[in-house]
Amino acid sequence: MNVENRFIVNIIHRPEMVPEYAEKVTGHGKAEDIGRKALLTESLDIFKTQQELAHINGLKTTIQMTYASLFNEEAVALAKKHHEEFGDEIALTLLGLPCTEFREKYKTKDFCIWMFSMEDKMSIVDDVFGKFHDCFGFYPESTGSYYMDAELINYIKEKYPSVKCAVATCWEEGPKAYHTCNNSWYTLMDGGPWAPWIPSKVNTHAPAADESEDSGIVAIPHLSRDLLACYDGNGSNFGTHPQNVLRGMIYEDGKYPYLFNLIDQYRVLGDYNNGIAYNMMFVGPGWMNKMGRWEAPYELLRQSYADGMAYYGELKKQGLLEDMGMAEFADFWRANKRYTEPECALWKDILYGSDKQLFWYCDPFMRVCVNMDQGGAIVDLRPYAAKLEWPVGIGTDHVQDCSYPFLIQEKYRAGYFTHYAGEGTVRSAKISHNGEEVDLCLCRTKAKFHEEKKADGGKVRFLLLEPVDIEFSDLTVKLQTKVVFDEGSSEIKIERKILEMSDPSAEVSINEYMVACYGTTEYPEDMKCVKLNLTGKENKTIDYAYKCREEYLDDADEAYATIGAIKTRVGLRCEGFGKTGYIKEGYAFSPMFTLGYTGTLKNEEVFTTWLSLARED
Amino acid sequence: MAQSGKGRLNYRCPSCFMRDLDIDMFYDKDKKEYYCLRCQYTGTEEDVLEKNKMARFRYRSMMKRYTLEELRQ
Repeated sequence: MNVENRFIVNIIHRPEMVPEYAEKVTGHGKAEDIGRKALLTESLDIFKTQQELAHINGLKTTIQMTYASLFNEEAVALAKKHHEEFGDEIALTLLGLPCTEFREKYKTKDFCIWMFSMEDKMSIVDDVFGKFHDCFGFYPESTGSYYMDAELINYIKEKYPSVKCAVATCWEEGPKAYHTCNNSWYTLMDGGPWAPWIPSKVNTHAPAADESEDSGIVAIPHLSRDLLACYDGNGSNFGTHPQNVLRGMIYEDGKYPYLFNLIDQYRVLGDYNNGIAYNMMFVGPGWMNKMGRWEAPYELLRQSYADGMAYYGELKKQGLLEDMGMAEFADFWRANKRYTEPECALWKDILYGSDKQLFWYCDPFMRVCVNMDQGGAIVDLRPYAAKLEWPVGIGTDHVQDCSYPFLIQEKYRAGYFTHYAGEGTVRSAKISHNGEEVDLCLCRTKAKFHEEKKADGGKVRFLLLEPVDIEFSDLTVKLQTKVVFDEGSSEIKIERKILEMSDPSAEVSINEYMVACYGTTEYPEDMKCVKLNLTGKENKTIDYAYKCREEYLDDADEAYATIGAIKTRVGLRCEGFGKTGYIKEGYAFSPMFTLGYTGTLKNEEVFTTWLSLARED
Repeated sequence: MAQSGKGRLNYRCPSCFMRDLDIDMFYDKDKKEYYCLRCQYTGTEEDVLEKNKMARFRYRSMMKRYTLEELRQ
C-alpha cells in the first residue's frame, strides 16, 4: 500500500430502543409490545456495549440518536457524557422511529423515512429534529437512514442547514436483498455509490457535477461492502459489519479473517483515489441481541464486534487509521475532493478463491462495472448524466423503489450468456475471421489501473488489460483492451489493439457492441419509449416496436438511443478502418436494443469507440 | 400435535440458504426435528450444522488472511 494513503473510518452507533429484528425475532411466542421494559433495557445495554468496545480501543464514534431514544433520559445523558469524555459526535438518525410515542402520533407501522409521503416526511423530520433540539440545545450536523431521497435531503438542508453529512444509501441493497428476505425486506436501492459522495439535488444516487447541483451534504453509504460478493449475492452478508459476516456463515471455529480482509481491501482503495481510503461500520443493536441472531449465539456476536473494533484500534495505534465523526469527515471530504473526481475501485475476489477482478467507477455522469473475467466487458452501467428525477414514497410513482435505473445489468437482464434465444445486456466486442467468431466476454484476463494528469487539474484514468490470445483455426491474434475514463467527459473510451498475429498480413473483423435496455429489477419494462438513431451522410431511425429491425450506415458519425422513460441518451462513436454503424431493435422475447460498429483490424492497428451518456432533453 | 416454536438457537434452513434465502426454521418437538416453512427440508440440529458446513463450499478463501501486497495484485 502507498505509505501516504490515509484511511478514514466512521464508527456509528445508534441507541435503538426497539431494535429491528428484536421484537420480531426474540419476542417469538409473545404478543407484540414495543414498549416492553425488558426490550428497552436490553436495547440500551447493547448500545452501551458497542460504545465501550469502541472507547477501550481508543476510537471515537458518531452517536446517532433515534427518535425513540430521545424519550429516554438515560440514553440522552449517555450521549452527552460520551461527547464530553471521548469526543463522540452527537447526531440524529431517521432510523429507529418505531416506539410507542411514534405509533400513537403517526398511526402507522411504517418506519422507513423515504417511504412516507412528502407531507409526512416533513412532519416527522420537524418532530425528530425538534425533539433533538429540546434534548441537546442544538441541531445535529449529521443524520441518515438506509436511504435518503433527494426531496428529503433538500428539505432537511433548507430547514436545518447545520446538517452536512448523512448516511444515504446501502450499496446494492435491492432485489437481491429483497429475495434473500423471502421478498419481505423492501430496501430496493441498487445503483448507488459504494464510497462517500456529494449527492445531487435531483437524485441522491447521482453525484453532483458542480456547485449548482450540490445538495449541500456529503453522503456516506451504509456499510462498506464487498464490491464483488455483494454485486452477485445478498448484500447483507458481505460488509464491514461483523454480524453480517456471521449471517453469511463466513467463519469457522469462531474465526472470520474475511472481515479483516474486507477492511484491508478498503485500505488499498486509496491507491486508486488520490491516497484517500474510507471505511465505515454501523451495526444496529438488533445484531447484538442477547438471544443470539439465527445460529450465532450472543457470545459470538459480541466477540465479532469486539474483534472488529480491536482491529481498527490497532491500526489507529500504528498510525494507519484516522477515526472521525461524520461531520468532521464531511469537512475533510469536501476539502479533498473535486466534484468531477471519480471514485475508483479495482476489486479482487477475497472470498471465493477465483482471483476474479472487477473495476468499479463512479462519477457525476455514470456508475460503471468492468469485468475482467469477461475480457473487460461492461456489465453494469447507470447513466447518472441524466440526473433522473425519481421521487419515492407514498404518493409518488415509486413507493419503495429507490434504485437508479440501469442500461446494463448482467445479473438482472443477463449478460453474455442467455438461455436458448435472445440477448443479454453487456458492452463487449466480437472478433471474427473466415467465418469464426470469438466474443471477448470469453477471454478471461486481469487489469492494472493507471492515471495521467491533465492540464485542467483533472486526470485521465484507464484500465490496461493483459493481452488475450484469440485462437482461430488458421490464425492466432494477440489483442489488448484499454478502457479509458477522461474525468468530466461523460464518456468511456475503449481501444482494441492487435499486438501480434500469427500471420502478420491477416485481417480480422471487429464488432463493437452494446446490448442494453432499462429498468431497476429483473423484469422487463415497456421499450416503446426507446428510439434508435444512426447519423452520418444520412440519418436512419427505428422507433421501438419489438419488430426485430436493423439499420446499418457506412462511416456513421454516431449510433445512439434515447430512452424516454429514464430521460437518457446513450451513444457510440467510432474511429477505425471500414467502420459501419448499426442499430438493432429487439423483440418480445429479447426486449433489448443494440448499438454497434463493425470494422476491420490489421496487425498493430487500433479500433476505438466512445460510449457517451447524456440527459435526453 | 402441539404448535411449533423456535429451538435453542434460531436456525435458518440450510437448503434455502444455499439459494440465497434466509428462512427461519421452526422446531417440531413431537418429531424432534427442525423444518422449513418454505421448502421441504427437515433435519435434526446435527444435520443442520452439517449442512451449514456444506453451504460454505463456495467460500474457498474464507479462512485465508490476505496481505496488503496480495490485495494490490
